[in-house]
Amino acid sequence: MKYKYKMKLKLIYPRWEKLKGQTTFNLPPHGPVAFAAALPDDVDVSFTDENVEAIDFDEETDLVAISMMLSTQVKRGWAIATEFRTRGIQVIFGGISAMLHAEETLPYADAVFLGEAEGYIEQVLDDWRKGKLKKVYNFMTSQPHIESVGPARRDLYKRELYNHKGVQMVDLFHASRGCKYSCYPCAVSYLGGRIFRPRPMDKVIEELHTIDNNRLFIVDNSLAQNKEWEMELFREMIPFKKKWISHTIEDDPKVLDLAAQAGAWYVYQAVYDTSNYIKERVRRYHDYGIGVEGTILLGLDNQTEDDIKRLVDFLLEIDLDLAEFTVMTPFPHTKGYDDLLRQGRIFDFDWDHYNAGQVVFHPKHFSSGRLQELYDYAWESFYREESQESRMFRLFCNVAIREMNEGTYRPRNRNLARKSFGKDVVRTGMK
Amino acid sequence: MYISEKYYDEVFPFSGSWEMPSKCGLKIIEKPGQSYVIVTELYQDNPGTSVTYAGRSLARQICEAKGLRLEDIIYLECNPDMNSKLSFYEEEYYQVTFNDSSPATYRLLSCEEVNALFDRTTDVKR
Repeated sequence: MKYKYKMKLKLIYPRWEKLKGQTTFNLPPHGPVAFAAALPDDVDVSFTDENVEAIDFDEETDLVAISMMLSTQVKRGWAIATEFRTRGIQVIFGGISAMLHAEETLPYADAVFLGEAEGYIEQVLDDWRKGKLKKVYNFMTSQPHIESVGPARRDLYKRELYNHKGVQMVDLFHASRGCKYSCYPCAVSYLGGRIFRPRPMDKVIEELHTIDNNRLFIVDNSLAQNKEWEMELFREMIPFKKKWISHTIEDDPKVLDLAAQAGAWYVYQAVYDTSNYIKERVRRYHDYGIGVEGTILLGLDNQTEDDIKRLVDFLLEIDLDLAEFTVMTPFPHTKGYDDLLRQGRIFDFDWDHYNAGQVVFHPKHFSSGRLQELYDYAWESFYREESQESRMFRLFCNVAIREMNEGTYRPRNRNLARKSFGKDVVRTGMK
Repeated sequence: MYISEKYYDEVFPFSGSWEMPSKCGLKIIEKPGQSYVIVTELYQDNPGTSVTYAGRSLARQICEAKGLRLEDIIYLECNPDMNSKLSFYEEEYYQVTFNDSSPATYRLLSCEEVNALFDRTTDVKR
């Protein structure tokens, strides 16, 4: 149904506390702008990412939509909703963590949307216009046709806020939804995502044409789900000459070669043991000029203190470009949560602490405090010889050189050289 | 992560959180004067809510389907051995007690209790 009155929707992405001692980069969030693409034409939407700008609670709006991805966003999301509802404005919630924390979110919401928005959000807005908003819109079991996923509304970003000293952050992009795997710490299977749903290639290409950025982060759960599709995707990406980061790529020379041609910059690769397989896997990425950021989960029940120390030594031996350490975190609707809950080992249910850097459970082989120390030890040991900033800079230089050779390099924006994510860069003087 | 069929006699479909169609493994053992209801998470083959998360709602649905009374059964959750690199627990059984005003509580069964449950002598090691 088309309405004469163009309703005003304020879309908000709540802030969360960043991890201590780590380099903070605010990437333009993908969930809210993918959601905005599903809105009908008679909606005028404005977007606020609270990680880079303050919310104007007095901005004129008809309805507020809060999009949440992380567990560490939910409490802030509830506080924002309370502020708007006090002012008489109704609030709907959606996104991954709204689904994972739906029951708890209900008291703070006029409506909670569960599922993917394409083809369904119109119904919610129609109900709102009629004054008949329902408390829950449950589309968990009726996923929209993947063909209906349109190009994300990146026009809603305030681009200058996603710059660090004039360098534009990568744009997030997805070529598929769902994941055929069901990994121990992951909730994607609960989120209705166990079936891998690749987007039609013409839709992928259409969206790539709309992205005014030569660097991307392909946020698909894993690209290694269907080799033929993955190879087709890479072939289609070659002419765009974009450089990109992604999760795992299929371990096959033909696929890795195509990925490199398509602009693979570096990948996130889980490192879970000190095997030759992992060592060779990293070497094979490097053979094709693809960097590797190892993702290392600490505190699993099969890890002793010695295992963790050996793993950190191993990471240095295998020449990883970057390493990201996290502690096991029992997010709701994961096997990890069920196991630890049954065993009575979760001692902290404050979602602000579920940032994968703070220990919220009793590990099997040592105390929670010791795991916290081992987490700090891992970060410090890996980056002792060369800092995280320096390693990142090397990866950045690699991509800049490739771009210069291909004629796609964009110099940094000098007008934003003294800004970092919208804030003035504070220079510390030398004594 | 496929679960061995030795853990269940039937696949029980149930309505999970937000009416998500879900499945679990189900085994009911009748002993003199006592019914033991054992639910097993199917992971790869469960499209919806886990047995642990479904908790009391799942127990009620099983009782309704099988003509049992929740008050009369001993309700057990089985953590199956999945022989997976990323799974850390051997076969375990937890007795679940549902409370009206507080979260469910779990008690790990001893080897002796598990062996007695299945009328076996040495199958379960810990």
